[in-house]
Amino acid sequence: MPHIARQAFLHGAIAIMPLSLAVAPWGLLAGSMAIEANLSAWQGQGLSAIVFAGAAQLVAIGMLKGGANLASILLTTLLLTSQHLLYGLSMRPVLSSQPLRWRLGLGFLLTDEFFALTSQYDQQQFNRWYALGVGLTFYVAWNLFTLAGILLGQNIPHLDQLGLDFSIVATFVALIAPLVRNLSTVVCVAVSLFCSVLFSHWHWETALVAAGLLGMAAGFICQKFAGARP
Amino acid sequence: MTWILIFAMGAIVFLNRYAFLEPRLPLRLSSNARQFLGFAVPGMLTAICGPIIFMPDHQLNLSLLNPYLLGSLVAIALVLLTRSVLLSMLVSMLIFFFLRSWLA
Repeated sequence: MPHIARQAFLHGAIAIMPLSLAVAPWGLLAGSMAIEANLSAWQGQGLSAIVFAGAAQLVAIGMLKGGANLASILLTTLLLTSQHLLYGLSMRPVLSSQPLRWRLGLGFLLTDEFFALTSQYDQQQFNRWYALGVGLTFYVAWNLFTLAGILLGQNIPHLDQLGLDFSIVATFVALIAPLVRNLSTVVCVAVSLFCSVLFSHWHWETALVAAGLLGMAAGFICQKFAGARP
Repeated sequence: MTWILIFAMGAIVFLNRYAFLEPRLPLRLSSNARQFLGFAVPGMLTAICGPIIFMPDHQLNLSLLNPYLLGSLVAIALVLLTRSVLLSMLVSMLIFFFLRSWLA
């Protein structure tokens, strides 16, 4: 690895460090719930290593426990993780011109957190080594915390009733709040928040992505409207 | 069976992530599309948080004494005041766990 690449990789690894630590409770939950649902330790770890999508893993484990069949779990996974299509679309200008192995690698690492940290760069500023540092560090952290959850879950029961899911809220809120600087972002966040709760209350499988899209549309329309009348 | 599920889930999530990174997909983003996608971070991350905050244990909870809500408000205030993501996450988590045991 050349010196400049190593530098960028380290910058990425350092930038994601707070979020990697904050994902600890969520990772503990993913590991311990897998054990509670009678998955083997290897299967619990395999979920984090192969699927690498916290929300989808937790929901799939819950459904397995409830006796759901393969097809319904896969359909739910598809719907629950469809926001990644949006992230891919958004990062298409910088990533689609990369060589295949970079596209495959960074594509695999494209999580909510990865997107939050790397999406603001345009073609000139984007550094794939920085992105790799972000993604790989987060992947390692997620898998280590899952492992800790698997080990702890075998000894401490009911780890899932501790409210560990608040960690994801604390992380995302800390990422979102500084972005809310103008009316259109306020509208986007408000619509998305309201719709996500409403649709979840209605038990829509697509609640999150539908609410997110509506929030984005509301923010976009607001921006267009404000732009037309300076 | 479980391993089949794990690999199939992995394939689905990866396809979702990779689909639009494929250059052979004939698609060019207009400036409107780019502006719209500029709202992806606040829009999607908020949607993920909404149900966790207001529907703990899958039950609607709009009470002002909901520890998830109070914890989130603390996190917002801290990050706006200190500009430190790590500090506000850690402190709001501590306050959340305190409130949760105290209000329960």
